[in-house]
Amino acid sequence: MSSTEQIATTDIAPVQKARKKRPFGFYLAGFWVALILFLAVFGDFLPGPQWDESFYDSLGVAPFHQSHILGTTLDGYDMYSGLVHGARLSVFVALVAVIVGGAIGTVIGVASAYFRGKIDVVITMAFNIMLSIPNLVLSLALISVLAYSDENNPASTTRRVGVLMLSLTIVIIPILGRIARGATLQWSSREFVLASKSMGTTNFTIIRKHILPNVAPAILAIGFLAIGSVIIVEGSLAVLGIGVPGGGSWGSMLANGRGNIAFSPWEVYLPAGAIALTVISCNWFGDYVRKALDQRESKI
Amino acid sequence: MSSLLKIDGMSVTFATPRGNLRAVNDVTIELLQGESLGVVGESGSGKTVLSRATMGLLPGTATRTGTITYNGKVISELPKDEVRELWGTGMAMIFQDPMTALNPVRRIGSQLTESLTVRLGMDKKAAKLKAIELLKRVRIPDPESMLRKFPYQLSGGMRQRIMIAIAVSCEPELLFADEPTTALDVTVQAQVLDLITELRKESNMAMILVTHDLGVVAGHTDKIAVMYAGDVVEYAPTRQLFSNMKMPYTEALLKSIPRLETPTGSRLPVIEGRLPDPTKNEPGCPFANRCPYVQDKCRAEKPPLKDAGNNHFYRCWFPIGGEK
Amino acid sequence: MAGSGKAHMRPDGDTVLTVEDLTVEFKLGKDKIVKAVSGVSFDLVRGETLAVVGESGCGKSTLGKAILQLPKPNSGSVNFLSTELTTLGKKELRDMRPAMQMIFQDPVSSLDPRLPVSEVLAEPLRVWKRGNQVEIDAKIDELLNAVNLDPKVVRDRRSYEFSGGQCQRISIARALALDPTMIICDEPVSALDVSVQAQILNLLQDMKDRYGLTLMFISHDLAVVKAVSTRVMVMYLGKVCEVAPPDELYQNTKHHYTRALVASVPIPDPERPISSGFIQGEPPSPMNPPSGCRFRTRCPAASEKCAAEEPQLREVAVGHFVACHHPIEE
Repeated sequence: MSSTEQIATTDIAPVQKARKKRPFGFYLAGFWVALILFLAVFGDFLPGPQWDESFYDSLGVAPFHQSHILGTTLDGYDMYSGLVHGARLSVFVALVAVIVGGAIGTVIGVASAYFRGKIDVVITMAFNIMLSIPNLVLSLALISVLAYSDENNPASTTRRVGVLMLSLTIVIIPILGRIARGATLQWSSREFVLASKSMGTTNFTIIRKHILPNVAPAILAIGFLAIGSVIIVEGSLAVLGIGVPGGGSWGSMLANGRGNIAFSPWEVYLPAGAIALTVISCNWFGDYVRKALDQRESKI
Repeated sequence: MSSLLKIDGMSVTFATPRGNLRAVNDVTIELLQGESLGVVGESGSGKTVLSRATMGLLPGTATRTGTITYNGKVISELPKDEVRELWGTGMAMIFQDPMTALNPVRRIGSQLTESLTVRLGMDKKAAKLKAIELLKRVRIPDPESMLRKFPYQLSGGMRQRIMIAIAVSCEPELLFADEPTTALDVTVQAQVLDLITELRKESNMAMILVTHDLGVVAGHTDKIAVMYAGDVVEYAPTRQLFSNMKMPYTEALLKSIPRLETPTGSRLPVIEGRLPDPTKNEPGCPFANRCPYVQDKCRAEKPPLKDAGNNHFYRCWFPIGGEK
Repeated sequence: MAGSGKAHMRPDGDTVLTVEDLTVEFKLGKDKIVKAVSGVSFDLVRGETLAVVGESGCGKSTLGKAILQLPKPNSGSVNFLSTELTTLGKKELRDMRPAMQMIFQDPVSSLDPRLPVSEVLAEPLRVWKRGNQVEIDAKIDELLNAVNLDPKVVRDRRSYEFSGGQCQRISIARALALDPTMIICDEPVSALDVSVQAQILNLLQDMKDRYGLTLMFISHDLAVVKAVSTRVMVMYLGKVCEVAPPDELYQNTKHHYTRALVASVPIPDPERPISSGFIQGEPPSPMNPPSGCRFRTRCPAASEKCAAEEPQLREVAVGHFVACHHPIEE
């Protein structure tokens, strides 16, 4: 074995450590998401009017009012603190649904694709059935079954919030589950998985060390998109009257304000704008992650 | 025979984060009508870039200089869409992996008739008859049933035959074949190479065959250009090249081919070392570090392309068998 | 070609692996069953390199994986180091794995693109708890040096930064990590440049001598296996055609299929163009193999007997076995 066969440094393409130039939109979306997250976490500690206090002296004032920066509703609720409080509810609901639903979906999808067999057939069919039902209809159905309430026996608030989050989580499971399944099918057919098996590595270790890390970026990319969809679904449910009970989410603000659009249009535009910007930012992030992923994939 | 394709002083440079990467250096090659040229070299030798550059299929980061003359017409300065006109009618291409070149969700028949109806303006019925004739030409048994199949239902050899059928459907004058048999079994490789040679003879089609295997080009080309680190280091008629090899690199490449005559248990001759870094412009012969006959002059000065007579050119200070 | 029969088995050698009547079937849809390997028997003697040669679809790769029980074969026996693998439980089978390793065809796909080389090589050592971190690090350096890679340069790099030949060196290092007895090499050089093939073949030879390995070398190219093998087994449609030492096989070819394989090897000589004249077309579908000898549909010497009766492996010269009713005469 001659030393000339030893490969030298120049033989191997250098790791590109150069800072990537990110598009401007990346920073814009990042700024918005950071702001929303900040408000969702710390909003209630910031000085400002109470979100659930009605200011009878200033009903329906327009934005840029001296004490109500974004105006008030016709009922005298402060728009700014309403939006801040709404961020907390909307983002919280969306994050919980996507993280919990994503985790469950990933586990089911990865296991289904890795072990194949009859279970895989059943799970794929279940995913497809769930995906064939529109998100909104599925959530509606779940809520009306699990948190049925009429005037005589109203369901408790906690129960309704719980069911809302549960139904959104269930909506997410097949979406991310199917992505996880697809990515796992692709990666588990790679020979390094077989190589690992032939060395006696257990299935659990292979999934943990080889499958999950390679599947994760794809799930992350779709996960961002899913946050956007969940915020929209939650908003739609609120407009239909079965959103977060007691109001407060962006969707509920929209629902409460839509009757007043002729007198105080900002009651509709502001929460709608917040939903739109957040959804667009999430989608943008999702796209960015996916593009970065595609570039990485093409290298591999 | 008149000249079909002339590449004159072509260089290709890629802009990379590490600086300019010279993939092809000042290559001059001429191909006559109906002639076949083998372009041989290791991965990274620039052989694929050379063929892509000739077809105008380079990515945006590449810069190409030099002139390309096709049928007496300079095409290197033509706008992209006019060059595209030449593909399919004048030039056609087949690739190493026919699976990625075929659309997986469309039947063979529709992919085959597409180029006939779109480019040659045939009606559907005529195109179907022509497609069956083409499948017969590439020796596919039962062509009618083949039209209804999808690419995934076929073996690699069958897919490569389909690609060849599509490539020759518009009677091109020049066929680019980029490692057409590398992904195939040796038995199928032999059949596909024979098929290409027969088709070429039938319609006087010229070919540029790009491969890493001297064994593949030996029986199927009229002349060979051996590439190393972007340079054509030896360029000669095929028989001349094998009988009177000048370049130590060509010799090393030839020796490294596994053969049936190799004694069992013996070590195979290898080309030690590696290709030079294409982003650096080091002095001397690029093969000097791996050459068994290297001398001081080789490390100091890059040899020019020398003429050994009989259309035989090489790039070496101390050629095998001496000068001339 | 049938290749049933066990005339070529060597009961009294220092046998590492004995495979008998191995059959592997794949289910495609409801009633479609592909017999990828049907009734193959052979043995591997310690220190030898058995080359398994045939076209794609002949079952050679499936055979290699079935020996490792990935997945388990449908019937037949695989006896490795005096242990019957087919009936072993999960845990016992896992305990056998370090002794039998595999190298794959696609050098890039066989390495996890996310892991640096040091992690790739550490994985088997960690799974089998071969020492602490310091010992594992030392072992990784030793392995990389063994396959002629500079540990300082390659340790922290990932597979996509390497050429195909370098990836294959890393795969070989990984296969060596657990000090195996046997390595099954599945087309280890088919995806590489000719000039790199020779380097990897030499490396495999060196490793075999250095670590006392027994190799099974799967390839579609007779020329590639010539230098490295001590015995060649030619397969066609899941059956064995011919078994012989390489020199004997090429100089005294008996099977018509082997002759076609020999003729297809590209020879770098313009005066002797390669010839596809001996056989035409491609193997029939393994879903519906021909009766009798499976090669008869492409065989120039096929007779009625070939359709009716499956030929058995028989010895035609010392150590040379062929399954053919009409073997090639001198």
